[in-house]
Amino acid sequence: MAIFPGPEWADEYVKALNGNSEYKDAGKTWEGDITFVVQPDEKYSKTWYLYLDLYHGECRSYKASDKETELKKSEFKYTGKYSNWVKLINREIDPIQGLMTGKFKLDGPMMKIMRYTKAAKEMVNTASLVKTEFGA
Amino acid sequence: MWFFRSPDIVFGEDSLSFLNTLDSKNIAIITDKNILNSGLITKVEKNLPVDSKILVISDILPEPDYDNMLLHLNDIKNFEPDLFIGVGGGSSMDTAKILFALYERPDINIYDITPLVKLNLRKKSHLIAIPTTSGTGSECSWAAVVSEKNEYRKNELASPEILPDYAILDPEMVLSLPREQTVNTSVDAMTHAIESYVAKWANPYSDALAEKALELISNNILNALSNPKNVESRNNVHIGASMAGMSFSNSQIGLAHALGHSFGAVFKIAHGKTVGLFLPEVIRYNYKSSRTKYDKLNNIFPDNIRKESLDLTIENLFKKMGQPVKMGTLNINENVYHKNFDLLVELAENSTGIITNPEDIDRKGIETIFNKVHGD
Repeated sequence: MAIFPGPEWADEYVKALNGNSEYKDAGKTWEGDITFVVQPDEKYSKTWYLYLDLYHGECRSYKASDKETELKKSEFKYTGKYSNWVKLINREIDPIQGLMTGKFKLDGPMMKIMRYTKAAKEMVNTASLVKTEFGA
Repeated sequence: MWFFRSPDIVFGEDSLSFLNTLDSKNIAIITDKNILNSGLITKVEKNLPVDSKILVISDILPEPDYDNMLLHLNDIKNFEPDLFIGVGGGSSMDTAKILFALYERPDINIYDITPLVKLNLRKKSHLIAIPTTSGTGSECSWAAVVSEKNEYRKNELASPEILPDYAILDPEMVLSLPREQTVNTSVDAMTHAIESYVAKWANPYSDALAEKALELISNNILNALSNPKNVESRNNVHIGASMAGMSFSNSQIGLAHALGHSFGAVFKIAHGKTVGLFLPEVIRYNYKSSRTKYDKLNNIFPDNIRKESLDLTIENLFKKMGQPVKMGTLNINENVYHKNFDLLVELAENSTGIITNPEDIDRKGIETIFNKVHGD
C-alpha cells in the first residue's frame, strides 16, 4: 500500500503508468509535462505536487514535493483539493465532470489536450490502479 | 453535483412569429446557400421586427473548419449585431455559436471556448437557433463541432455560455426536408436519445427527455417519410429530435458517435448515417452493463416495430427507413478502408464519446466492432 499523497505513491503511480499499454498507445505522440496539485482542505493540511514529464507514451522523469519551487514549471497543471483527489482515485468522481463542476482545475493549452482524450482518461484510470492508503 | 441546461424553447406551428416580439435592431443571420435558396431565410426575415437591420451570411459550408466559420467575423464586428440567428443544420447553428462568442469576446482564442473558461458573454448580443433539420440537436446543445483543416479530425468546442438563448422549432422549417436528410437526421436523433440514456453521465432529466424523444420519433418517423408534408408527424419528429439533443447535451453521447465520427471523417459520409451504422452493434456491446435500460427503451417503440431486444428493434426500424447497419450497402472503397483501418481505430479511440460510453472499450474492442459492421 502506498500512502497518498507521498513519494511512494508517486513511485507506484509512475510504475503503473509506464506499465499501462493503453496509455502508452494513446499517448504515443504526446510531448509535454503536467503537474498534479493536491490542495489542502479540512482533511489534509499541506499542498503536494507531483511533476510528470510525459513523452511519447512514457513518463521519463517525475518528482514529488510539497514545495512548488523545487519543481520545473509544467505546461499543464491539474489541481484539486485533497478530498476530491481521494474521490478521483476511488473513481467516485469522473475527472471531466470534476473539472466542469469546479472540483478540479486544469491550466494549460486546451487545444493540445483536447486531442488526447484517451491518454487523459488512462492517466486517471492508472491512479485508481495504485493500491492506495490515504494519508490524512 | 451536476447541471441541467436548456435554452427557452419556442415550438409548434407559427413559432417563427415569436421573432417579431424581440427588440433586436441589428440581426445577423448565419446560414448556408441551400437554406437561402430554399426560401427559408425569407420566412425568417418576414417574421423579424420591421425596423430591424439584417445581415445575412449564407456561405457556411457543411462541416466547416475555423477559416470558413470566421470568414465574416470582421463583417459581423462592423455590423454590431445585438442578435445572432443560426438557421440550418448543425454547421450553421454551430458557426453562429462560434461567431457569437468571438464577437462578444474578440480577445479570446477559439480554443478558450471550453467549459473550463468563464467567458462572460451576452454583454452585446444574444443567440437564437432555428433548426431546418430534425436531428443534430445543436439548437439545444452547448457544443459546436469544428473540423480541422486538412485533417480527418473534428474538434468539439463546448461552453455553457454558447447555449442558445432560444431554440425555435417551427415545423414549417422542416416540411421540405428531402427524404435522405430526414432519414439521416432522425437516425442521428434516435442515436442521441439511446446513447444519452445509457451514458455514464445520464441523469433523471436526460433520461426523461430521451424516453419522450424516442416515443415521439419512433411513432412518427415512418409517417413523416411517407407523408412528408404531414405537419403533425413532422412536428413530433422535430420536437423529439430537439428533446434528444437536450438529453445528450446534458449527459453526453457514447461509442456509436465515437465510431461514426471516425468513419464519417474518413469516408465523408453524412453524420447521421454513420452513427446509425454502428448503433445496433454498440447496443450489443453495451448489453452487459445497460441491459435493463435498453429493455426499458425497447418497450417505448410501437408494436409494429418492436422486436425482442433493442438492437433488433433498431435494425428493424432502420431497415424500414433505408438506414444501413452494415458497411456493404454503402459502397465504400475497400482499399481505402483497409489502408486507413488503424486511423479509423485511432480517431475513434480519441473521440469524446469513448469517455462517457457505459462500457469501457480498448483498441481491440473497437477493432472488433469495426470488423463486425464491415461484415468480416
